[in-house]
Amino acid sequence: MNSSASLERGYRRLLACYPRAFRRENEEEILAVLLATADQDQRRPGLAISADLIRSGLVMRLRPTVPHSARTVRAGVTLICLAALAELAAVITIVATSSAVLAYVHRAAPADSHLAVLSLTKDEIAGPIAIVLMLWLAWAVGRRHHWARVVFIIFWGVTTLSILAALSEGAAVAAPADFACGVLVWLLQLSAVVLIFAKQSAPYYRHGSEPVKRLTA
Amino acid sequence: MQEATFLILTSLAESSQHGYGIINDVADISGGRVRLRAGTLYTALDRLRMDGLVEVDREEVVEGRLRRYYQLTPSGTKLLAAEAARLHANATAAMRRLNPLGVVT
Repeated sequence: MNSSASLERGYRRLLACYPRAFRRENEEEILAVLLATADQDQRRPGLAISADLIRSGLVMRLRPTVPHSARTVRAGVTLICLAALAELAAVITIVATSSAVLAYVHRAAPADSHLAVLSLTKDEIAGPIAIVLMLWLAWAVGRRHHWARVVFIIFWGVTTLSILAALSEGAAVAAPADFACGVLVWLLQLSAVVLIFAKQSAPYYRHGSEPVKRLTA
Repeated sequence: MQEATFLILTSLAESSQHGYGIINDVADISGGRVRLRAGTLYTALDRLRMDGLVEVDREEVVEGRLRRYYQLTPSGTKLLAAEAARLHANATAAMRRLNPLGVVT
């Protein structure tokens, strides 16, 4: 195999980091530039170029596909990410304050101690799952998937029910820090719901997950 | 605006360019300080196209390889002009303050 064919194969392997739709439209063009900028007799992609292609491919896969002018969608995505961050803070708070909360319940209502243990365990398990789910939904909402908006509003509904359940169980008194974190997550999710379902966001979901139409010659 | 974005838009201000041409032009404009890599360039071009600042002018096939030429859209030209004016104003203010100190030749 000559050096050019070997180099081209190496570049094609690296270009696999990019989303398929982007590759379909741009792979041959990028390949031409990569080969034009390569040294004579180069057989393998250099380290810096490889790192650049891998990084750029990941950026292309993760970043929103709505333009910067789609402010409501972009702000909604940011708020979902912040809600995931607040959920992380909630999980840390739950773990850090669990012994104090259990001691309080044991003093105030000894009969409910086993329920408090159960509730804290449930929150410690559900928290990380919620974080992953919110980050995934933030990605999908930013990629113009309409279903992601629908799933997110259902998710917000579940959060609302869990906040109301916690309130009825006296969590605001027994575990005020945990409850405050939960309310913060709920507020951030509510703000995100308002933004991603705003009138200005609608055009970006009208055609499902198709990419933004581009002007081509 | 990031420097790489500013330089890519600047390289397209005069005429349409293909990817390899933009890389060389950006290196020229920046005096060799900024050397764009292909991955970075095409990620930036994709974003600029998504934002409606750059568009494809034409496509050619040279030695069996696709060559796509990019050009500024009217929005891209307007944004570049505004950014250039902002940088120019900042640079002028800095020069005015440095002149009495004899730092600027």
